[in-house]
Amino acid sequence: MRRALRLHRIFISQHMKRLMEYKLDFTMGALGLFISQVIQLLFLGIIFSQIPNLKGWSFNEILFIYGFSLIPKGIDHLLFDNLWMIGYQIVNKGEFDKYLTRPINSLFYVTVENFQVDAFGELIMGIVLVAYSVVQLLSHIVWYRIFVLLLIVPFAVLIFTSLKIITASIAFWTKQSGHVIHMVYMVNDFAKYPVTIYNNVVKVIITYILPFAFTAYYPAGYFLRGQDGLFSVVGTILISVTLFGISLFVWNKGVKSYESAGS
Amino acid sequence: MMKSFFRTYMPFAKAGTQQMMAYKVNFIFHLIGEIMSCFIMFFIWKAVFTSTDGKTFMGFTMNDMIVYIFISFMTGYLSYSDGAFVLGEEIRDGSVSMRLIKPCSFDMCFLFQEIGNRVISYGIIFVPIVAGVEIYRYFLMGSVQFNVGNFIMFFISLQFAYLINFYFNIIYGFLAFYLKNLWGTTLIKDVIVNFLSGATIPLAFMPFALQTFLTYLPFSSLSYTPVMIYMGMYTWDKILFSMALQIFWIFAFWGISKLIWRSAIRRICVQGG
Repeated sequence: MRRALRLHRIFISQHMKRLMEYKLDFTMGALGLFISQVIQLLFLGIIFSQIPNLKGWSFNEILFIYGFSLIPKGIDHLLFDNLWMIGYQIVNKGEFDKYLTRPINSLFYVTVENFQVDAFGELIMGIVLVAYSVVQLLSHIVWYRIFVLLLIVPFAVLIFTSLKIITASIAFWTKQSGHVIHMVYMVNDFAKYPVTIYNNVVKVIITYILPFAFTAYYPAGYFLRGQDGLFSVVGTILISVTLFGISLFVWNKGVKSYESAGS
Repeated sequence: MMKSFFRTYMPFAKAGTQQMMAYKVNFIFHLIGEIMSCFIMFFIWKAVFTSTDGKTFMGFTMNDMIVYIFISFMTGYLSYSDGAFVLGEEIRDGSVSMRLIKPCSFDMCFLFQEIGNRVISYGIIFVPIVAGVEIYRYFLMGSVQFNVGNFIMFFISLQFAYLINFYFNIIYGFLAFYLKNLWGTTLIKDVIVNFLSGATIPLAFMPFALQTFLTYLPFSSLSYTPVMIYMGMYTWDKILFSMALQIFWIFAFWGISKLIWRSAIRRICVQGG
């Protein structure tokens, strides 16, 4: 474990050096993500200029849920973005050989190899929104729940990462799975809004099948209104751990059936 | 003249179609991922309309909003163009010389390749979305809402939107090769264009002055114009005026792209090879 952490630090510092060389790249990616969030908020602002609440949720509560959803998403994006490359090209081009020949776990190596600073565009926005809405809702906040919420964040990240590992692993059998990762990943956008606005089909999908609702709405609902404490908190932890277990299983199966590119 | 034109460029269209066929599974997965955002919008608007007292939201009914969401998604998807992005890269690494020695013009090669591509994407997107929207509207309103005149004008306007986008993106492709980071800059470009074109938020929801200003920019021609025509929001006068504006922007961007191409080619210096 300690070795893994030390290696992770080395990878990040390596990446930082590369980053300093391409400052513009970093700014552009982060700025792009930031602007796209601002426009989404403008859209929410226009809606709330006409209605007092959305199915019982106030503007500030919606901002909190939206902002909180960006934090686990941003952390996963920052640390474990390289999994996309497994799906798009690493397996397909036979470059996965590299990861098998090193004396560290292949999954660990792949995930930490890249440090995607674009993610700061999402992270900063998420933190700003959460801070702003908490200040607005100050009198309703139950303070000990903040610690519960902080405890949940790593597990929420794990839900994102596990789903990416599972979908990326498909590439070991099909050579490419980038578009499957994309399809599954996009479902997370549903979790940015209260689950109560959706019909039952969507509810079941984002709760039990691709459980993105546990990365944002359920923890946020618990924090804001104390609703379904057990289901929201313990549920998030159980689901993320289970999903991570499944993802490790699928990954290991996949690595076994990996075949390098010819020649 | 016409015959030799098509004999030159039809192979590009055919190659485009074949390329698309080879990746059609990827395309469908990608599409499902992207169309998710429409369903999110659909549920948000449903919640909005149950939370308001009136039947309309800033002049739009629920029925209008559904048409807007899905038709503007489809318009965006079918008028998207990125075939010419490689051009900047080719100029940098010198492989553009291969284009210079071929007896065909650079934009027509890209155009026909994309047209070949689009034959498939029309088959996969156009029919299901239009049919879906019309069936939904029929059950919601109890009568057929489909208007043939509007639909034909929409279809023509959609092709104009594509051509504007095509030449706009050739120009962006030239620029992008100075900006290097394609992922970041393309994200910024797409987000801003989507906003200014009314694809994210209907222009009708914006303050009047801004709305008028945006109508004259090229971006509203990309998405808002065709969608409004489909929805029957425009009178015939307005339809003809906004389509004339579309034609103007096609020629403007076509001219600019030719100018940039000419000056880039004059300055280029390909080493070796």
